[in-house]
Amino acid sequence: MAKNLSGDLTIASANRLTDGVVVFLDDAGEWTKRLDRAAIARDKRAGEILLERARAEGFGVIDPFLVAVSEDDDGVIEPISLREKIRASGLTFDAIAADAVRYA
Amino acid sequence: MPDTHFYRYDDYDRTLVAERVEQFRDQVRRRLSGELTEEQFKPLRLTNGLYLQLHAYMLRIAIPYGTLSSRQLRKLADIARKYDRGYGHFTTRQNLQLNWIKLEEAPDALAALAEVDMHAMQTSGNVIRNVTADHYAGAAIDEIEDPRIWCEIVRQWSTLHPEFSFLPRKFKIAVTGSPNDRAAVRVHDIGLRLWRNEAGEVGFEVIVGGGLGRTPMIGKTLREFLPKDELLAYLEATLRVYNRYGRRDNIYKARIKILVHEIGAEKMREEVEAEYAEMKGGALRLPAETIEAIAGQFAPPALPHRPAVVGAVEALKLEDRDFALWLKSNVSPHRLAGYRIVTASLKPAGAPPGDASSVQMEGVADIADAYSQGEIRVSHEQNLVLPHVAVEDLPVVWRALGRLGFAEANVGKITDIIACPGLDYCALANARSIPVAQSISNHFASLARQHDIGDLKIKISGCINACGHHHVGHIGILGVDKNGVELYQISLGGDVDFGKTALGTILGPAVAADKVVEAVDALVGTYLDQRGEGERFVDTYRRIGAQPFKDRVYAAV
Repeated sequence: MAKNLSGDLTIASANRLTDGVVVFLDDAGEWTKRLDRAAIARDKRAGEILLERARAEGFGVIDPFLVAVSEDDDGVIEPISLREKIRASGLTFDAIAADAVRYA
Repeated sequence: MPDTHFYRYDDYDRTLVAERVEQFRDQVRRRLSGELTEEQFKPLRLTNGLYLQLHAYMLRIAIPYGTLSSRQLRKLADIARKYDRGYGHFTTRQNLQLNWIKLEEAPDALAALAEVDMHAMQTSGNVIRNVTADHYAGAAIDEIEDPRIWCEIVRQWSTLHPEFSFLPRKFKIAVTGSPNDRAAVRVHDIGLRLWRNEAGEVGFEVIVGGGLGRTPMIGKTLREFLPKDELLAYLEATLRVYNRYGRRDNIYKARIKILVHEIGAEKMREEVEAEYAEMKGGALRLPAETIEAIAGQFAPPALPHRPAVVGAVEALKLEDRDFALWLKSNVSPHRLAGYRIVTASLKPAGAPPGDASSVQMEGVADIADAYSQGEIRVSHEQNLVLPHVAVEDLPVVWRALGRLGFAEANVGKITDIIACPGLDYCALANARSIPVAQSISNHFASLARQHDIGDLKIKISGCINACGHHHVGHIGILGVDKNGVELYQISLGGDVDFGKTALGTILGPAVAADKVVEAVDALVGTYLDQRGEGERFVDTYRRIGAQPFKDRVYAAV
């Protein structure tokens, strides 16, 4: 599926102050854990405005920043860098469970 | 079981740690209410071991010189279950990292730690970090003196030391009491090696300016022999010189290794000796009674006589190949003939190296209570050690560890991989480490094959900071980011064995993530084809050089 990989598309992300969880700024100016709800800036200027907004809404989060994303034909966005992909979707392996005595 | 062979906090220690917890509780409250900005709060949380990683806060808990009582290990398991996701990661600095801590609960976690005389102070920041030691301390057959006595003295001296709270960069000290260095003392800011001179006196060789990271260096010996009671004076002199001359303009050139490299070992020695001359015999000279009091806390447990040869153990060795392999790789000689040191491998096939669940930690604590005087050690190779196991208890300990998944007979073998948390967790990393380690571990899972390959240390770092010690791996693997793609640079010939300490040499161009296993397989194949009688991988590499390895790797990938 075709993807917009121009790097022009950005979203605002941060870590939540209380627990460090990765969050994204949505269109309503709320921080959400859901990547699919992130507000998308479609050019550089819009990105600057989004970041300013994220900072203004930054009370409960730490150091908001812009993340470059791609978007497919269905409007599904995905961070471009591996680091941000991992931030958005979590560990790339299964961590051992609390009650586990063997790694499965 | 009471903690009987460990340093026990006195009122001073307890008050200091308790006050620190309450200070941090207030700092967290002020941060959550907005009274403190992140800029103001960050240094406060870091100095209490609380980092912000990719997905959450990470708490790095100091395990002083890698020594734990069963009670402490149980508490760590409990904290991991209550305040984290029920597992933790034992690190190359003998610490424990909990990866999913909530800021609002961090003070409670620290208060729980304080209940068992533990804390997370000085596990971050430009200070003297948790002092590391030989994980066989107090049990090793080759030990001259227990290094933990000196680690504890250094801990007391360095904790919140006002002069050294704002060093140019972090500072790591390691101590070994054995000629066979298991603490990697030549790759620390200061390495201390206890040895006995011709007059029969025990003192320290003081090695300064080693380190890994961006600019790996092997430390230089500044003092061949330092009387033990002068240790703190000499350390203070060294730190004072570093504090005065160490660079603060460039974070990448701020470690003491750069200072030693830039001014030279001879000049560094002159400066330190001049400073030391001012302090020698002064207030920092350790009174004999102080040394004796601390040494008394590390008095060896009164181990009852146990037979050195046990028929049932010999029989099981013949009957069960897995047990025989485990004895060979995971069991080491003890200073007493009827005992052994057992390493619980935290590297079962395909597992994240160094990770243990709360249930596993509790299981190891139970085994330690029943069969190892309630003592556990954390090794810098990310395993747990039971230091005092009777020979006749080896079968039951093997089975008990097996039930926990920690009886893999792979210590020192190709799947006993050191790996940092890498890009899955770490905010500094460029590439993943754990999945690479898992792929190699799964590929070489056959124990028969591992034992045929013999001793081979693979060390993986997800960035140039080298928490996975890749520079000193027989095979070192360094993850790099090239235009958003993870690539892995391979180096060969690193070693931390004393007298053979060496930094690995880069083999050639970095390989893609999905080619790392093939590359390692090609390296092993070259070794197996070329090895001479009794040669380990690294010995063959030293004899034949890199080219045959290089040819085969780059033909394969």
